[in-house]
Amino acid sequence: MNWLWYYGRMVLSALILIFVVITVMFFLLEIAPGDPIQSLVGQVPVSDAFREQMNAAYGLDRPLVERYFTYLYNIVTGNLGFSYSNQQPVLELILGRLGNTLWLTIPSLILSSLGGILLGAIAARTRSKALDGTISSLSIATFSIPNFWLALLLIIVFAVTLGWLPAQGMNSFTSSGISVRHMILPVVSMAVAELAFKMRVMRSSMIEVLGQDYIDTARSKGLTNNQILWRHGMLNSMLPMVSVIGYSAGFTIAGSVLIEKVFGWPGMGQLLFDSIQRSDNMVVMGILLIITIVVVIVNIITDVVYGLVDPRIRARMRREAGGHK
Amino acid sequence: MSATTGNLAQAKVKKHKRDDSLARKFFRRPTSIIYTVLLVVIILACYIGPNFLVAPASAQFDPLMGPSAQHIMGTDSLGRDMFSRVLTGGQTSLLVGAAVAVLCLTIAVIVGGLAGFYGGVVDTILTKITEFFQVIPAIILALVAAAILGANTTVIILILSFTMWPQVARIVRADAMRISELGYVESDRAVGFGSLRIFWTDVLPNAFAPVLVATTMTIGRAILAESALAFLGLGDANKPSWGGLLNSAQSHMQTAPWLTLFPGLMIFLVVLSTNMLGDQLNDSLNPTLSRVK
Repeated sequence: MNWLWYYGRMVLSALILIFVVITVMFFLLEIAPGDPIQSLVGQVPVSDAFREQMNAAYGLDRPLVERYFTYLYNIVTGNLGFSYSNQQPVLELILGRLGNTLWLTIPSLILSSLGGILLGAIAARTRSKALDGTISSLSIATFSIPNFWLALLLIIVFAVTLGWLPAQGMNSFTSSGISVRHMILPVVSMAVAELAFKMRVMRSSMIEVLGQDYIDTARSKGLTNNQILWRHGMLNSMLPMVSVIGYSAGFTIAGSVLIEKVFGWPGMGQLLFDSIQRSDNMVVMGILLIITIVVVIVNIITDVVYGLVDPRIRARMRREAGGHK
Repeated sequence: MSATTGNLAQAKVKKHKRDDSLARKFFRRPTSIIYTVLLVVIILACYIGPNFLVAPASAQFDPLMGPSAQHIMGTDSLGRDMFSRVLTGGQTSLLVGAAVAVLCLTIAVIVGGLAGFYGGVVDTILTKITEFFQVIPAIILALVAAAILGANTTVIILILSFTMWPQVARIVRADAMRISELGYVESDRAVGFGSLRIFWTDVLPNAFAPVLVATTMTIGRAILAESALAFLGLGDANKPSWGGLLNSAQSHMQTAPWLTLFPGLMIFLVVLSTNMLGDQLNDSLNPTLSRVK
């Protein structure tokens, strides 16, 4: 089965990547200035005896290589260590926040992808040079807006001035869960730049597709421009979009750090920010690892989907599989 | 070098006529001129302007005054003139943008160029590194690194260059690879030139244009990233940068929205200019690419 080998290799390279991230982060933390024991007790002088006791308790007195392998072993067994500041398991802390982050990132990904595809397809139909220039300038302008600044402006307009939408948190003080009204501003500010970028890619992909011979054939059969666009153009120009969407998932999750800070959204980004402030390095590293894993999984899904939607790749894989019978 | 080869890449190279230089093509576009002027004005204002204004740190005015003739960007919560602070802050942001772009370009030309031209082990390693940085969001890496290593301007520049160079290197590599198979490189080899000489005199100059586009865009991305880090409090505390100003503006959003408006507007204008210039440059290089027929 050749496809098994194909996907196996993909998973293997993903694992290597995760391993590299762990290693890089471990050594980065080693050369970090700052004292974890000090940040543990706060602004109080630490006695040598207490420091030794804490070093032993956290295993900080072991040799570097040993700590590295201990850390690797722990990660493989799902133990990402404990937070220096509140002794909670890092994995538990992060997973408790990951859901809240996904409540922002997934809707924002859907919004930017659907919006980008639709607007990009429509924009590609333009035959007017002036409108074409305007569309592409507008999309460049849109993805030049820093998303955290956009978020601040949206708060000023819609929360402070107009009072239509809440500015902070994910629900009112009295209720629990996530309220849709609280989601609107963060999701929009995360999606806008991505939408503009996807629209640009979709537009140029669609322009390329519309120049193909089979589009001329479709036109000669008497299909209208709209039929050509939606029936023949759409699916064929979606191909580059698959990888762009997969690629943008990583950016959206990364961007959520800033957006969560602006909106006081209690997700993984906010946790990362707080942990950086407290120099709680185990949590910082855990979050980087979780983000890496999420992005790697999204990439694998992207590759698989890419193979599924592109008949050429599908056919090649079938041929290769057949050849090995 | 005739069009009959049917090779698209060669056809593109052929389109560069000597008498129609890239600079001339570039500045024939009104958009290029507008954004070049805008960028130059901002740079001059940030580096020369503060000399004619009150010191950015002097807290001698009423706090939180709105924009007026005396203080066109208002004053902040300590009674400092925002216009002066915004222009001074621009120095940090622009410096980071330019330095990161130059560093990225240097590393990218060396590593990417050699990888594309020679192939082999260097190429494999570069491809792996590029893949790595494509997967891990650069801003997260930079954020974690800045948090752990401490955040002063030099460290920020180094971290951002470290996370951003592979994207430029990828473009250099692709072009060096394409060029190394072209006819004139083959002729060079036939004449007996050493490969380093060919790399220096023929590959690099011909790969220059697309690399310039990537570098221009890198300035914008670096300024965005620097602002984001400073906004999260990971910046030089002693030097106000645009992101840092936005960070401190956050607590006065209800009473003083102008503190949020202006620093962000500056980031937007600079990033917009570099992106637009990059795009225009790209269009002058490939006038037929992705345009309505």
